[in-house]
Amino acid sequence: MQAFSFSSVPLEPERYHAALEDPSAGGYASFEGWVRDHNEGRTVERLEYEAFESLAVKEGERIVAEAVAKFGVTRAACVHRVGSLAIGDLAVWVGVSSAHRGEAFAACRYIIDEVKHRVPIWKKEHYTDGDSGWVNCERCAAAAHDHDHEHDHSRAHEHAATAQHDYSRQIALPEVGRAGQAKLAAASVLVVGAGGLGVPVLQYLAAAGIGRIGIVDGDVIEASNLHRQPLYGIADVGQPKVAVAAERLRALNRDVHIETHETRATAANIDGLVKNYDLVVECTDNFRAKFLVSDAVVRALKPAVFASVHQYEGQVQVYRPLPHWPCLRCLWPEAPRDGMVGNCAEAGVLGPVPATLGALQAMQVLKRLLGLDAGEAPALVTVDLLSLETRRLIARRNPDCDHDQPGVPAHAGVSAATPVELEFRTLADAFESGLELVDIRETWERMHDPPGLQIPTHLPLSALVNGYLQFPTAGRYLIVCAHGVRSLSVTEQLRAQGLAEVYSLKGGLAALRS
Amino acid sequence: MNRIEIEYFAVLRERAGTGRETVETAAATAAELYDELATRHDFGLPRGMLRVAVNDEFADWSRPLAAGDRVVFIPPVAGG
Repeated sequence: MQAFSFSSVPLEPERYHAALEDPSAGGYASFEGWVRDHNEGRTVERLEYEAFESLAVKEGERIVAEAVAKFGVTRAACVHRVGSLAIGDLAVWVGVSSAHRGEAFAACRYIIDEVKHRVPIWKKEHYTDGDSGWVNCERCAAAAHDHDHEHDHSRAHEHAATAQHDYSRQIALPEVGRAGQAKLAAASVLVVGAGGLGVPVLQYLAAAGIGRIGIVDGDVIEASNLHRQPLYGIADVGQPKVAVAAERLRALNRDVHIETHETRATAANIDGLVKNYDLVVECTDNFRAKFLVSDAVVRALKPAVFASVHQYEGQVQVYRPLPHWPCLRCLWPEAPRDGMVGNCAEAGVLGPVPATLGALQAMQVLKRLLGLDAGEAPALVTVDLLSLETRRLIARRNPDCDHDQPGVPAHAGVSAATPVELEFRTLADAFESGLELVDIRETWERMHDPPGLQIPTHLPLSALVNGYLQFPTAGRYLIVCAHGVRSLSVTEQLRAQGLAEVYSLKGGLAALRS
Repeated sequence: MNRIEIEYFAVLRERAGTGRETVETAAATAAELYDELATRHDFGLPRGMLRVAVNDEFADWSRPLAAGDRVVFIPPVAGG
């Protein structure tokens, strides 16, 4: 009998069974799929199956051949009905004969699962209320919209085509919630390097629902990459990493917009790349790129997450564009030369080492975007996967650091060109300035100052510092406190974070005439 | 002589053949300690390329050492 066939007349398992008999076979396993009387809450009266037969038979034969090769069974076959079927009718039959029962069960299961996922069969359900619908057909059509070639079309699973990404397990965290999920969806992240670190970073960020992810990598996939970059498969060798990664990530989560930059990071392109994203994750395997990224995020006032691995250990460092945070050059004033301390290709590495460090990077990104890193001091974290020890080494800004290119302002800081403090005679004058007033005093201070209650926007400093509230990332603001000291400090920090039109009320409310 | 706990990372660990050791040393500063160990273990890396942390905080090479200090030598790492 044929390995895979369609039948327009009722199936005859006894007849197929005989065709699988073999003297070397010690057992036989079969699966029968029957038409049931309900689907997704509706009562079904009968069914019609239709198949794109020439394509479906080829794919079905491929599946049976895969099962025979994969499980080493003796014989296997599958027959699927087409046409009109009543409740209780046999819709699909799979049979496997094999020396041992374990392989027979496994191969049988494999065949039915793969046939359900991969073979293009359309099912029309007729309901008791007289209504009917092409179940798989519509879903295939929806999937075909996103997958433009035949192979993907045939693989479109009936659920996969309509399923929505479900973030409920992260939204359930009190620190995340729907507001946190919205922050992730609004965020954009640039991942430089799609290798051992980049793969888990990309997977977890895409899975978490980051709105837009850019991937920078100029390499093609090599067979020697796969042990630590399992996003790729052996069939992808020779393909550009960014293209394959983008395809896999789109398949993982259609909510995420993936942008590919098939290039190495260079001095000529890095600023242009960095400026289009909220945050940068540095995942390359060389110092040249790491320092390029560090310099670029310092210039662009963007946060970044760096990591590196060496054999069984790794390092993670977060950069934030705040006045006291060190950049990569603060830590390593003498930029090391590539080749001096070995990368993965030269020194060797086990796959879970970059996977662990990459997962740590992804976590730091989520922390930053969700505001879960309030109060965290700058540090270099070392992780040793052999001893399972981690060490958090406090790092400080190096006052002598001259990391920037000549002519570029040193470090993230306040531009001297624009005044930070503004003077007003009265609160009314301040309102007339066109700036939105933001009162950062604590609630108890406001309660003791009725005129101050005229300022509708209230973001208490304690809540900002603890990360319970976030300052808006765009807009024109005048920060107000009692005497102008706290507001100056907050204003300087916001300027450092890239908010250009933010000012501090000089002397605070105490300096105003009522 | 001070008793100092030392940890090595990456290439230094490979050269030293161990991730940690305890030494009795007359070295007064982190720099003197590294120079002493570099000779003993034949570390190829110049001090300027490394960082030293004393008691979980990055420190200057001129940092004086005290008995019981934990000193970590960290070379930069590039792999990814």
